[in-house]
Amino acid sequence: MNRLFALVRREYWENKGAFRTTPLVIGGIYIAFLLMSIFTTAHFDNEMYTFREAVRLLAGQTPEFRAAHGNELILGSSVFFSLVLAFVVFFYLLGALYDDRKDRSILFWKSLPASDTLTIGSKLFSAMVLAPLIFWAVFILTQIVMAAIASLMVISVGENPWTLFLSVVNPLSAWGILLVSYLATSIWFLPLYAWLLLVSSFAPRIPLLFAVLPPVVFAILQIWIAFLKTFTFNDSLFGLIGEWVANSPAIISVGADGSKGVLSLGIPLTSDFDHSVSLANILDRLFSTQMLAGLVVSAVFLALALWLRHRATDN
Amino acid sequence: MTSIISARGLTKRYGRTLAVDHIDLEIPPGRIVGLIGPNGAGKTTVLKAILGLATFDGELSVMGKNPARARAALMEDVCFIADVAVLPRWIRVWQLIEVTERIHKGFSRETCMEYLAQTKVTMDHKVKQLSKGMVAQLHLALVMAIDARLLVLDEPTLGLDILYRKQFYSSLLNDYFDEERTILITTHQVEEVEHILTDLIFIQDGKIALDTSMEEVERRYTELMVRPENAGRARELKPLYERELFGRHIFLYDNVDRKQLTELGEIHTPSVADLFVATMKGGKS
Repeated sequence: MNRLFALVRREYWENKGAFRTTPLVIGGIYIAFLLMSIFTTAHFDNEMYTFREAVRLLAGQTPEFRAAHGNELILGSSVFFSLVLAFVVFFYLLGALYDDRKDRSILFWKSLPASDTLTIGSKLFSAMVLAPLIFWAVFILTQIVMAAIASLMVISVGENPWTLFLSVVNPLSAWGILLVSYLATSIWFLPLYAWLLLVSSFAPRIPLLFAVLPPVVFAILQIWIAFLKTFTFNDSLFGLIGEWVANSPAIISVGADGSKGVLSLGIPLTSDFDHSVSLANILDRLFSTQMLAGLVVSAVFLALALWLRHRATDN
Repeated sequence: MTSIISARGLTKRYGRTLAVDHIDLEIPPGRIVGLIGPNGAGKTTVLKAILGLATFDGELSVMGKNPARARAALMEDVCFIADVAVLPRWIRVWQLIEVTERIHKGFSRETCMEYLAQTKVTMDHKVKQLSKGMVAQLHLALVMAIDARLLVLDEPTLGLDILYRKQFYSSLLNDYFDEERTILITTHQVEEVEHILTDLIFIQDGKIALDTSMEEVERRYTELMVRPENAGRARELKPLYERELFGRHIFLYDNVDRKQLTELGEIHTPSVADLFVATMKGGKS
């Protein structure tokens, strides 16, 4: 356990820029945008008349209405964090078993009494738990700062932020469901993560190419063969990957529900399952046959990655 | 006495080439063994097999363990420096010490700090900010702070200046080595290590060309320097190797009576480098 902890810390040290600085920068951008919009409003309307009216209008709505919309706002602002997190994790895994082979430091890491299984475990843990946790924590921090700024604004126009939204909106449930969604998404995308680790364990150079090219070639061949046979474009690996993303338990899109936009899990292209954001729906994705098949694929990829890591040296 | 390293028919193939060809090895504890051979002779391959970094055919046991299966467990008792440039460049010195301490049970932070205190390396340095010599000092400080039974050094001083190389070997011998420990060194700079070695293994084309102790070398091998007029008689005694230096003929003999040789000219114990050249040339013919 101590060794796993030491290895995860090493991953954090090596990837501080991606894991810590990146979410902090995004949080900073959020706050900067909020301040900019306040100054813009104040610039054209120095009495803050519009803002005052908006607050008054909001105060006139029912607490339930304010709670629901506050919740949507919290989860909605997480989407950008989540997309950047996906990029960070993608490139982290692509380099995870490649970088130390390239700079030969694998010879140092392999001189330590830590098994290859533990090493791969520490990299998966960093991608699946550590990075999402840091992004999640920084996201919460950002929202607290933004809520503080918004409260000051509300006070400045003579209203009470406590009765207006602070006591009404309960951020804990939104933050909680976001964390569950992050961790569930990590499990959901394990087949992809395992593929990236596999590529990073064997790619002689440019792992990105090795990660992307084989599935692209495979999918194009599939589509071509299907076209020759049936003169239609049937399902291919592309379709499968697209479907996988669309069915994921990540909160990434706004689906149209009647007249208003509602946040949804994955991308609600089909009605195969309920896309609305709830704990039950997230867990439902994890206990699906799709997920089971994905875990089998992941196990194969990870076993191969481990086997290759076991053999890997500096050349 | 149980061996630290024991190999029977150790073989490694890369495609159709035989990098290591049925090697037998027996290295007891408390020795400093030089593994010496020309480029591509298979030295590094043997070391990689010993360290669990490569698969192999045949039998190999390092402290009773099969390195191909039990690398992690083996590394509790084995340290290695596979040339000096393998420390991760992004890491800071304190992080390197921290991670080594947490993973290696036998690591002593105190000892490591003592070694580092003699250098210009500071805790906040990143490895990439250090000069090559400083990286080597850092790596050596790490390794010497680990209570290991086997230390493997693969070209440990490659690219280092002569001052540092001397210092490296003297701290290795004076501060680290004892009867419990075994050190296995490969190097091209034979002259630098020959005074600290207790045993010598020459390897050529994947085979062991010579496996002997240094005492044995002194007992068995004699170098004879003769004037040209005696060269014919010297040749009759079947030298391993002959060369010319400033008009003198120099012969190297294996197991020839020294008295007999003294009559022909000056005799010495050959240097490891000369013995190496003689063995390699002899092996070729």
